[in-house]
Amino acid sequence: MASTSPKITDSLQFPDNLDVTKTFYGFGAVGLIASGVGYFLNAEQFFFSYLTSFAFFTSIGLASLILLMIHHITRSSWGVVIRRIPEAFASNLWIWSIFIIPILLGMHSLYHWTHADYVAQDPILAGKTAYLNTPFFVIRQFIYFGIWGFLGYKLHKISVDMDKTNDWGLMELLKKLSAPGILIFAITIAFASFDWLMSLDPHWFSTMFGIYYFAMSFQALFPILILIIFWMHKKGILENTIQKSHIYDLGAWFFGFTIFYAYIAFSQFLLIYYANIPEETLWFYHRLEGSWAYVSYSLIICRFAIPFIVLLNRDTKHNHKVLISVSILVIAMHIIELYWIVMPTLHHHGVSISWLDFTTLIGLGGIFMGLFFQRLKKHKLVPVNDPNLPDSLHKTYHQ
Amino acid sequence: MDKKHSDKTIYGILAEFKNPRELTDASKTIVESGYRNFDTFSPFPIHGIDKAMNLNKSKLGWIVAGHGLLGLLGGVALIYFTMVVDYPMNISGKSLINVPAWIPVLFELTVLLSAFGAVFGMFFLNGLPKFNHPLFDSENFKKATDDGFFVCIESEDPQFEEEKVSKFLKDAGATNIETIYEE
Repeated sequence: MASTSPKITDSLQFPDNLDVTKTFYGFGAVGLIASGVGYFLNAEQFFFSYLTSFAFFTSIGLASLILLMIHHITRSSWGVVIRRIPEAFASNLWIWSIFIIPILLGMHSLYHWTHADYVAQDPILAGKTAYLNTPFFVIRQFIYFGIWGFLGYKLHKISVDMDKTNDWGLMELLKKLSAPGILIFAITIAFASFDWLMSLDPHWFSTMFGIYYFAMSFQALFPILILIIFWMHKKGILENTIQKSHIYDLGAWFFGFTIFYAYIAFSQFLLIYYANIPEETLWFYHRLEGSWAYVSYSLIICRFAIPFIVLLNRDTKHNHKVLISVSILVIAMHIIELYWIVMPTLHHHGVSISWLDFTTLIGLGGIFMGLFFQRLKKHKLVPVNDPNLPDSLHKTYHQ
Repeated sequence: MDKKHSDKTIYGILAEFKNPRELTDASKTIVESGYRNFDTFSPFPIHGIDKAMNLNKSKLGWIVAGHGLLGLLGGVALIYFTMVVDYPMNISGKSLINVPAWIPVLFELTVLLSAFGAVFGMFFLNGLPKFNHPLFDSENFKKATDDGFFVCIESEDPQFEEEKVSKFLKDAGATNIETIYEE
């Protein structure tokens, strides 16, 4: 109820003296070159490591995209001040599509169903060839990235245009794009997860796998946003604009989607466990074998139990130290979970960590974050002409 | 409305303010003057009034957590007794202590008891149910559900003195100051 409307007191330009882009690109280049060397040493390991890292960073872009669309369609005001961060992630999805190429080149190593002689002897796989065949797989990747790239680019472009034109009619356009966007997104992310991750074991199927991939990606997005905002605050960026109340909201989303993730992941497990049909249980059986079992149990503890208990208290949802530790834990567990989904296909009997797991992560991560910061610094850090901005700035934390 | 009898004990002093802003400011002044037992009434929630009134954090969270835990442990006891001790049943060869299959039940019971804890705990902390409240004697107080913003400093407050409080509220810009008596 303040009589004066709140004003932004921070600089809206990313500081010029902070050149993180080059550092990230540097790391990216080194990581990718090292991984390239690894390709010649152990091609199979390279492709599996690459797929894990690719699935991780793509999930961040995709989760950003859905967050934006939900934000627009619900006309939310809380997150207007942080919106440029997911916008910057999502807007790069069309560039990011070039990193699917190594997977297309490595399909023969990654996916069993690409081996014609193997499929010919296997009636189950033969029955799936209408969907699982190389040309259709490649076409699907173009469709996915075409749709995501378009949505991400457009949502960012319109939002940035509004900074200059002050045309509130564009808000309508954002909503019109988001409504069908959410529907198409739900279908494409489900099929993309079937293609990239589920078809690694072509006999196995889970109708929940699409939402499972979405749930874990969305849970991991909030710790990433929290860490980026804390880093920005440390560098003095948007210190007074993104306040305690916004951090608290992110913490609440983080908490909520931790439960959602656990609900989905457990539901998938429970149905398969309870029905006890061999063709379904085999996937979990492999993941409870040897040292993979420890990874399975650590997922329950580190990805659900610890964040759940820690974030249950409302004070911890905006406590820097606690949030930073839980965020790092959950991001690490997201990588480990993807690793746990992908790797048992290659290493059946136990965890076998390769240096390629790290170089692909650093390589793709460097490029991904480099692209992000390049996009972020080009535009104002807050959508200044958004009609909901005053509301967002005005948010107070309720004790 | 014949309440001005000296044999009746005073419940508190009720005062009206013009708008939420004034009510919030008045709450701050009241806290600064050292009064502790007072409450504010408005037709809708006011942002920032909790802070202005210097309210303690609600204990409801702990009540809910306790009930949730009770539901969880009660659920474990229930399933353990029925499925393992009293009438062991072999279901598709799975072990008797079949934790994944228990989880939906444990989850439901945790949520159910948490919800009970939240609702009944809220009633308890608010002192509900209640047949009547001394404030309902005030004709003017009916505005609290429409367009009135009220403060009531209660006689339980150690600093309470009828004259002093009335004058204090008047100085704080209140109108319609009246003394409320217990029944």
